[in-house]
Amino acid sequence: MLFWRDRADLWTLITPPTVWAIHFMVCYGIAAVECAKSGMQSDLFVTQVAISVATVVALALIGMSGLFGYRHWGVGSELPPYDAPTSEQREQFLGVCILLVSCLSFVGVVFVALPPVFITDCR
Amino acid sequence: MRADLAGPPRFLLLGACLVLAGCSGPQSSLDPAGEAAERVSELFWQMLTGAAVIWCIVIGASVLASYRGSRTWDDRTAFRVILWGGAVFPTIVLAGLLVHGLRLMPELRAAGGDLRIEVEARQFWWHVTYHAEGRPPIVSANELRMPAGGIVEVVLTSPDVIHSFWIPAIAGKTDAIPGRTTRQMLKPTRPGIYRGACAEFCGSSHALMAMTAEVMTPERFEAWLDEEGGPAKPQASAGEQVFQQAGCGACHTVRGTPANGTVGPDLTHVGSRHAIGAGILPNSPEEIARFVAHADEVKPGIDMPSYRMLPEQDLMALATWLAGLE
Amino acid sequence: MTMEHAADEAADLERQQVQEDRLRRVWETPSGWRYWSAVNNSEVGVWYTATSFFFFLFAGVLALIVRAQLAVPDNDLVTAPFYNQLFTLHGTMMMFLFAVPIFEAVAILILPQMLAARDLPFPRLSAFGYWCFLIGGVFVAGSIFFSSAPDGGWFMYPPLTTNPETSGIGADIWLLGLSFIEVASIAAAVELIVGVLKCRPPGMRINLIPLYCWYVLIVAGMILFAFPPLIAGDILFEMERLFDWPFFNPERGGDPILWQHLFWIFGHPEVYIIFLPSIALLAMMVPTFAQRPIVGYGWIVLAAVGTGFLSFGLWAHHMFTTGLPAISLGFFSAASEAVAIPTGVQIFVFVATMLAGRVVFSIPMLYASGALAIFVFGGLTGVMVALAPFDWQAHDTHFVVAHLHYTLIGGMFFPLVAGVYYFYPFLMGHMLSERLGKWAFWLMFSGFNIAFLPMHFTGLRGMPRRVFTYPEGLGFDWLNMVSTVGAFIMAAGVLVFVWDVVRPFSWKPKAPRNPWNAGTLEWVAGNPSEPWGIRSVPIITTRYPLWDQKDLIRNIDEGRYFLPDAEEEKRETLITGVLDAEPIQVLRLPGNSFLPMWAAIFVGGSFIAATFHWWIPTILSGVIGIFVIMAWLWTGTSMIPEKPDKDAGRGKHLPLYASGPRSVGWWAMFITMVGDATAFASLVFAYFFYWTIHPDFPPPDAKGPGVFLPLLSAALTLGAWICMLLARHRNAIGNSGQGLFLLCASAALAAASGAALLAAPWLTGLAPTTDVYDATVWVLVLWTVVHVAVGILMQFYCIARSLAGKLTPEHDIDLQNVTLYWHFGAITVVVTALVIALFPLVA
Repeated sequence: MLFWRDRADLWTLITPPTVWAIHFMVCYGIAAVECAKSGMQSDLFVTQVAISVATVVALALIGMSGLFGYRHWGVGSELPPYDAPTSEQREQFLGVCILLVSCLSFVGVVFVALPPVFITDCR
Repeated sequence: MRADLAGPPRFLLLGACLVLAGCSGPQSSLDPAGEAAERVSELFWQMLTGAAVIWCIVIGASVLASYRGSRTWDDRTAFRVILWGGAVFPTIVLAGLLVHGLRLMPELRAAGGDLRIEVEARQFWWHVTYHAEGRPPIVSANELRMPAGGIVEVVLTSPDVIHSFWIPAIAGKTDAIPGRTTRQMLKPTRPGIYRGACAEFCGSSHALMAMTAEVMTPERFEAWLDEEGGPAKPQASAGEQVFQQAGCGACHTVRGTPANGTVGPDLTHVGSRHAIGAGILPNSPEEIARFVAHADEVKPGIDMPSYRMLPEQDLMALATWLAGLE
Repeated sequence: MTMEHAADEAADLERQQVQEDRLRRVWETPSGWRYWSAVNNSEVGVWYTATSFFFFLFAGVLALIVRAQLAVPDNDLVTAPFYNQLFTLHGTMMMFLFAVPIFEAVAILILPQMLAARDLPFPRLSAFGYWCFLIGGVFVAGSIFFSSAPDGGWFMYPPLTTNPETSGIGADIWLLGLSFIEVASIAAAVELIVGVLKCRPPGMRINLIPLYCWYVLIVAGMILFAFPPLIAGDILFEMERLFDWPFFNPERGGDPILWQHLFWIFGHPEVYIIFLPSIALLAMMVPTFAQRPIVGYGWIVLAAVGTGFLSFGLWAHHMFTTGLPAISLGFFSAASEAVAIPTGVQIFVFVATMLAGRVVFSIPMLYASGALAIFVFGGLTGVMVALAPFDWQAHDTHFVVAHLHYTLIGGMFFPLVAGVYYFYPFLMGHMLSERLGKWAFWLMFSGFNIAFLPMHFTGLRGMPRRVFTYPEGLGFDWLNMVSTVGAFIMAAGVLVFVWDVVRPFSWKPKAPRNPWNAGTLEWVAGNPSEPWGIRSVPIITTRYPLWDQKDLIRNIDEGRYFLPDAEEEKRETLITGVLDAEPIQVLRLPGNSFLPMWAAIFVGGSFIAATFHWWIPTILSGVIGIFVIMAWLWTGTSMIPEKPDKDAGRGKHLPLYASGPRSVGWWAMFITMVGDATAFASLVFAYFFYWTIHPDFPPPDAKGPGVFLPLLSAALTLGAWICMLLARHRNAIGNSGQGLFLLCASAALAAASGAALLAAPWLTGLAPTTDVYDATVWVLVLWTVVHVAVGILMQFYCIARSLAGKLTPEHDIDLQNVTLYWHFGAITVVVTALVIALFPLVA
């Protein structure tokens, strides 16, 4: 499970943006197919429901990654820059990076979820 | 770090000069004559102001960093600079901009319209058909006329390569793509004569694919439609004979004469147009003659053959006859 | 006591002397004509950099002709067709022959030094990449002298570029020449990823690696996902041009928009592929000149990773005017705004580091601040064009020309020049002139702004891009004249810079060691530099070892760390773990060879012959190329060492051989296949893209490819794959005979599978020139069958290696890598079969 591992590594680092990428593709794919198949008058209902669901799922997964990063960061114990040559600091460093990347991915998902709020047809 | 010190004044001065002198013109999106162009130029000025402020702050900070002697900030403050300046502030500003842009999009593409104009973009000219309520379709070319205050839906197609339909003073652009049908909404507001151009690279004479766009008062527009819908009123002259004998009718239509070709632009009312050659030459018998005789030089890559072999007087007669088709 | 001490010291000195002689011999650069057989990163990197810089100057001259033509209205300096070649080649060369290759060049040059590695893990691959680049680049650039350069824009939109009436051989030169170079880019990506992850010095944990390496890692990963869609697009495109398969022809069901998708899925990440490595150079320089560690190391990682991912969600903002539904544009608009966040973080990390340090003035910093001033402005206009409504006006006008030059000159060119001033002492052992540097800077900086600032207004006043002329009186006249003057001022600056770089060494002062007092390992390099890269591979405990680790340089020089010697007279480098960089292997590196060059010549010859439709030379050259590559693999890879392990120094014994996931070759194969799978995914995307745009896809009268044959093919491939797994297992437990038998069985099954797959569209009579459905099925089948064929070739290679005694139970790299290939191969066959056989039933 990439969202909750014993150890932080490069895979857990790229998990949140990967979730963003999948969410992005799902949103774009669903909207594109609905518009292509039901024409300009479509009210995009299916798209809106599907994107809402996808967004909730994506945000939950990214939140989980963020929490994972937060745990590994071990707040309060030490401040940056985490540049000591020890396994603990390496974990803390990866933890804080995962947390930051999760925040960005979270904002990214929210941004990508906005279009169906304001655009409700296929013109 | 002297670069930063010298930067702002030059940018600002140069910018100010350009802003004053650089906005007007028949093809300028910053000199709007349509609703969409107005909204977008407003948006541009707002964004430009914001951008200038942000630029000054960022560059100012780096200048400060280089010229503040030996005082240094502690790491904690520096972290805050990154967090608030680099992450939080941009996120908020960008979210605001995004929402603004998303709300504007459906507005600029809203449905409706009492006039539908089909524009078929070709290498390197525009085939135009007006579909007005209660009238049969009216065919014209290389010129777009529309009523001020009206809503016009331009339906775009292309039989050859990708072109892009753009009248900057009225609205943004939309591509005409082979195999697809695209739409551009126009809401002209201010009567006047403007210029449009093909914006997608479409071959040798891409630069020479333009059009005139005239926004008229609704009454004048109706009157013009009456005119344009009728047949040509050719004056019988030697020019007409040249037109028939040289085979021009195989490609061009002049309603009211036997000429009914559809390969090239419709010439029924060519004399009444503001320009010829798809918006590139003034409309006069001399220019028409030059175009007919040297089409390949005036417009490289054009399909129309050059009629260099026509005797000078036939050429002028033809040009005069065409210019008389009002 | 003292005498004993002195004797010890003398012995130690002698030991050092002997070691140095041996190292020098092993790593010596060949002389005379053999110089060109060098594969070491320090030679290949310099060639690569010089060549791409030459292409930059070439493309810059094209731009000056363009600007001269546009100086006044109705100009007739050049003809329209020639002008179209000029701007097409300018864009193409700047992107494909300068911006991306220079990243690879600089990375090959400085990455090993930064990581205290003797070389990158696959030196011959770097050399091969360079020769591909040189051949392809000269071919594409040279076409302008025959007036047959590509003329359809660097984006090559069909149908303008597929219609034989509106396009000529230039389009083929573009497609084939650049496809060839794209392969080189992917090779470099493989090399750099493995380099950063596995070739670090002991102790350089993931939280200590130089920032440049983070960027290189991300960018190389991006190349892996960005270039393959373009390669897939190129395949479709070339099939249409050569064989009339109608992928982009709407009359037979194709759609020109598909090309735009594939091109920009490549094209937008590419902008960041160009930008990130250059900003990475700044990330090395800013701490040096602020004389303190970077503030916000983790933020930089965030910025690099974030940009790397988000940049893949921007592609359709190049297609805002194609009439796609507003909702689709909305997603791309959102991602385009979001990508500005990590970019902002990046900039503020630099500003914060400068604020928290004491900035020392220097020429590299002058260029860095110029870069910042220009790039920030370009970024801000980028935020503007990311809004679709604004882009509807700005798109394809000179506003966008201005915007993209602000981002690329500010984000790429100025940092690069800063990098040249910064790294020149380390590379060439001499300092560049401060006076000339200032002159060049002010000429370039002012020239650039004079040229491009007015262009924003030229564009919004209505001047489209790519026009060879414009009429008087529309308000473009004086703006264009100003731009042209600016362009020539900038060119003067470039000339001053070039002069500074190429003027004789005797005119330039000799550089001291580490002249800027930097903290990272590349500055260990002495002057004059030695061919071995680093005398001994140190143990690293901080991010800035030269600042924090006492006596580091002395201990390195005295050979107190790892690999201080080359007892067996073989080239070696250290392989370490991904996260904590614990030493795990001593990797034997192949030496100098002409084989990579010959491989590039023949493979390139095949591409070039195809441009002219000379089919026999195409095939001949391609086959010879394959044999040369085989010879290269046979003589230079997975060599069985004479002993299982060796003393790597400091009493540490490390194995000399590793296979499977522990070997670098396995990772290289894995990474290559990820790229390959991306290209395949792009072809599958094409299939579903046609499904979305057609009400009926497959068309109602489609006859093939049937269900049985594709599924049979999938089943046979699964059989081949299982045989492969078994073969690997049998061989590993010592039963080579069974292993060989299973390999043969696997090859036979694979061959049958390929035949079944080919038979499916063949027997059902799918005709690829009649309809896009037939063509799409055929292209998927061909792609898959080619992969099966390559897989069979690899199996035969393994069989031959085994018979020759070069593949044994303990030494099974080849078999491991081929099995890995077959994992991907099996997925490819199964997906193809399912899509072409079952999807028609669902649709």
